[in-house]
Amino acid sequence: MSQQLDAETETTTQTIRESLNQALHEELERDERVLLYGEDVAEYGGLYKISEGLYEEFGEERVFDTPLAETSLGGTAVGAALAGARPVVEIMYADFLPIAGDHLINYAAKMYFNYGDETSVPMVVRSMYGTGDGHGLHHGQSPEAWFMNVPGLKVVMPSTPREYKGLLKGAIRDDDPVIFLENKMRYGESGPVPDEEYTISLCESDVKREGTDATIVAIGGMVYEALEAAERLSEQGIECEIVDPRTISPLDTGPILESVEKTNILVTAQEAPTFGGFGSEVAAQVIDDAFFYLDAPVKRVGAPFTPIPFAENLEEAYQPTADDIESAVIDAIET
Amino acid sequence: MTQNVSVDDETARQFLEGMLRIDIFEEETKERFGEGEIPGFVHLSGGHEGSHIGMGAAMGDDDWLAVGGARLIGQYIAKGVPLPDIMAELYGRVGGSNKGHGGQMHVSDIGRKLYGHAATIGSGQNPAVGLALAEEIQETDNVAVTTIGDGGTSRGSFHTALVFAAYWDLPVVFVIENNEWAISTPAESLSPDHLSDYGIPHKMATESIDGSDVEAVYHTVSEAIERARNGGGPTVIESRVARLVPHFEGDKETYRDTDEYERLKEEKDPIENYRERLLERDIVTETGIEDMIANIETEVKEAVEFARESPEPEPEAAYDHVYRTPLYGQGENQ
Ligand SMILES: Cc1ncc(C[n+]2csc(CCOP(=O)(O)OP(=O)(O)O)c2C)c(N)n1
Repeated sequence: MSQQLDAETETTTQTIRESLNQALHEELERDERVLLYGEDVAEYGGLYKISEGLYEEFGEERVFDTPLAETSLGGTAVGAALAGARPVVEIMYADFLPIAGDHLINYAAKMYFNYGDETSVPMVVRSMYGTGDGHGLHHGQSPEAWFMNVPGLKVVMPSTPREYKGLLKGAIRDDDPVIFLENKMRYGESGPVPDEEYTISLCESDVKREGTDATIVAIGGMVYEALEAAERLSEQGIECEIVDPRTISPLDTGPILESVEKTNILVTAQEAPTFGGFGSEVAAQVIDDAFFYLDAPVKRVGAPFTPIPFAENLEEAYQPTADDIESAVIDAIET
Repeated sequence: MTQNVSVDDETARQFLEGMLRIDIFEEETKERFGEGEIPGFVHLSGGHEGSHIGMGAAMGDDDWLAVGGARLIGQYIAKGVPLPDIMAELYGRVGGSNKGHGGQMHVSDIGRKLYGHAATIGSGQNPAVGLALAEEIQETDNVAVTTIGDGGTSRGSFHTALVFAAYWDLPVVFVIENNEWAISTPAESLSPDHLSDYGIPHKMATESIDGSDVEAVYHTVSEAIERARNGGGPTVIESRVARLVPHFEGDKETYRDTDEYERLKEEKDPIENYRERLLERDIVTETGIEDMIANIETEVKEAVEFARESPEPEPEAAYDHVYRTPLYGQGENQ
């Protein structure tokens, strides 16, 4: 299942920010039904400059600012998508997604089911999460668990520049409503991105690193932490396999189960609080379908069950890191 | 020709002093942030000082202030939160108003009836209606004042708060600080002539005033509070101010017209205008102002020292106050 780039592919090293900007650019160019709107996305280029230059390129009919109203961002996207547009709306911080929650959870997610025909709601809600910048209680929560319990929504959380680009394009072309979560602390992260046009389909887990001793299922920004932990563990003779689901829900469990069947150890890693989180679901899936392959209890790495504290030392302690993953793997192996 | 002074000399001096306190505190904040001592991001109040101080002065100690908009520090000061408490919170230290849990956007102080938990813009108005509801049920004559920026008024929650305040005819004063910008999005694209017009369909009293004039704000908010206290129901006030600072420190403001910006700095600086007004009427002297500034600078310096010396929270503090009743050992070490 691994989607490693083959040696032939021409690539350019670029940041996640550039990759997202390209994805939006290419999709706006390719399909005139695609619209991009939200707070400060046009001339300002988005708070984190993801949409820089797009307003100038595509004009105010395609790329536009809105009044400050997340409910309307969610609700108008539902209507617009239903009637033939392909809206990409930006909800500045994922902490504000609950303001649009009714439209996402009760409408976008359920219309195809209820209408029972070819109706689809092809909308993408882009939003940012990520801690480590002292933004505190309302500007950095990881919201995937709030939404992964909603059938009908697709929740995407990419890791590398290549995936940010391919998955955003995939999400825009997808006929279901997608919540596309971007880690604001990683926009500057760079990596190889194919020069040729490509998309990545949603709902396909990817193996980011092969290994035989332990499986780490990591999402979003935690993929980087897992890679770092794996390097350190490798020096100690422990080879980790890293599975990056990329789409949180619906979850492609195949590669996770295959990996656990091989390594017999499972560690999960997420930025959100561990309790009731993505890692818990992965653990449950593995217990359901690969229980007898497990040599040790599952270890879940995540944030403590507390709001994101502002104080620098508390925030630092709050954030799960490579260290936590490293000790979780060692713990599991030593059990 | 400057305007008259409509309050007694002592009050006038307090207004000037209050605005200077915000300004000097924020200048220091900006520097400490620039030096990397204050983490996160900071939004300053430049241009809003008159609106904050006029509003604060109109309120009684037992009236609630539910803050909104992004210009928050000035409002904390106007509601009487001590400077060391605010500064230590900006630093994320245990001596802060919120013991370092909240930071700049989340300063709150229930003892002083400051409802501050306001980093989702436009979410403060319904709680303000609830505060007023509780006061009414307890048969006090306390009112709830709540602020919001022009940007925030587009939120449905702002409008539903108006519906509820009118429905229950509660003592709420909605103050809209219209500084014409929501980050880079201009308020002029919104339809109402005045944002206070949003109160009209609810048959509320509405006023639109020059919010850079501390006295105008003081009188208008005082009247609205008086009306609310006496059972006259809610009021919506548009306080027209200029945002004389970037949205947050670091915002390059490429979206603003430079000439217009310079003009606003000349014409709508609440502190400079009021200073001239008081000097002209001999209500203060240059030396009087210098003394005032020197005293405030000392206060601010002390606040910084307090913040620097205040310890970082203990690691376990991350678990304090998650639940009111400690569960499974959490929060037991208070
Ligand atoms: C619900 C919500 N949406 C968006 C933001 C991001 N944001 C912070 S301040 C701001 C602009 C607010 O403008 P306004 O209400 O006019 O207040 P001002 O900044 O002028 O004080 C925005 C969009 C937010 N904090 N909360």
